[in-house]
Amino acid sequence: MKHLSDYQVNDRIAEREWSPTYAQLRQYAEASGDLNPIHLDDAYARRAGLDGVIAHGMLTMAQAGAMLMEWMGGEGTLKSFAVRFERMVSVGERIKFSGYVKDKDSDGLACVLVATNDKGEKKLSGSAVLCFESDR
Amino acid sequence: MSFKGEWLDLSSQALRDVIGWEGEVTVRIEEGAVRKFAEAVGIPFGKRVPPTFLGALMQGGAEGLEAFQDGTVHGEQSITYHRPVEIGDCITCTRKVSDVYERTGKLGKMTLVVVDTKGLSADGKVVFESSSTVIHSAR
Repeated sequence: MKHLSDYQVNDRIAEREWSPTYAQLRQYAEASGDLNPIHLDDAYARRAGLDGVIAHGMLTMAQAGAMLMEWMGGEGTLKSFAVRFERMVSVGERIKFSGYVKDKDSDGLACVLVATNDKGEKKLSGSAVLCFESDR
Repeated sequence: MSFKGEWLDLSSQALRDVIGWEGEVTVRIEEGAVRKFAEAVGIPFGKRVPPTFLGALMQGGAEGLEAFQDGTVHGEQSITYHRPVEIGDCITCTRKVSDVYERTGKLGKMTLVVVDTKGLSADGKVVFESSSTVIHSAR
């Protein structure tokens, strides 16, 4: 079981990889209630000036959240989580989520997060504060 | 007050007039919905509610805010939890348009709408606070 003392400033968060599919966008649209056709209909997306459908920003953020939750391993809580959606994510793009511990105090960790595609283009940037119970 | 109709017909002044608009919705965190969400994201379903579940509900079922959803791109999102959210929770969320402003960037003129949400538990305590910025580009 991990405690706050197990984490240090500059520790890297275990990376997460993700590549959205049409099926996932449909499934996520239904699960979240966001049925905006820009995520579901290529023709609609092209009329809006895009190459094709784009992933929901919140689905991309959910991937970053998943990275954090897995890294925390069931311990601690996510106190705050903030992201900027830097660029749109297309079906088939390979996105890598990563981050590191920027700061640590008696309550928890402040982390910096980023997501890039395999061309190195930034898709998401953000931060999170994780709280842990005091070490016993 | 709700805003239906063509986003593109709203003048900048009309958009600025919506600052302060508030809407309220009560959400019940149901196991089935959380399970479906976890599956869609690609994470294991467990005791914990995924950290973006509430934000996704707010973004997806934006009653009264339909005019802001069409043709918009999500710019930023933040959430702060005052306590963990659990399956079975009943949370009353008040959403408020806190700002509307314009910015000119590499894509041309954009209008940004900031919506702040506060969620209270049944006993009136703050469960979470969030802020969402959506961007609309002028065509």
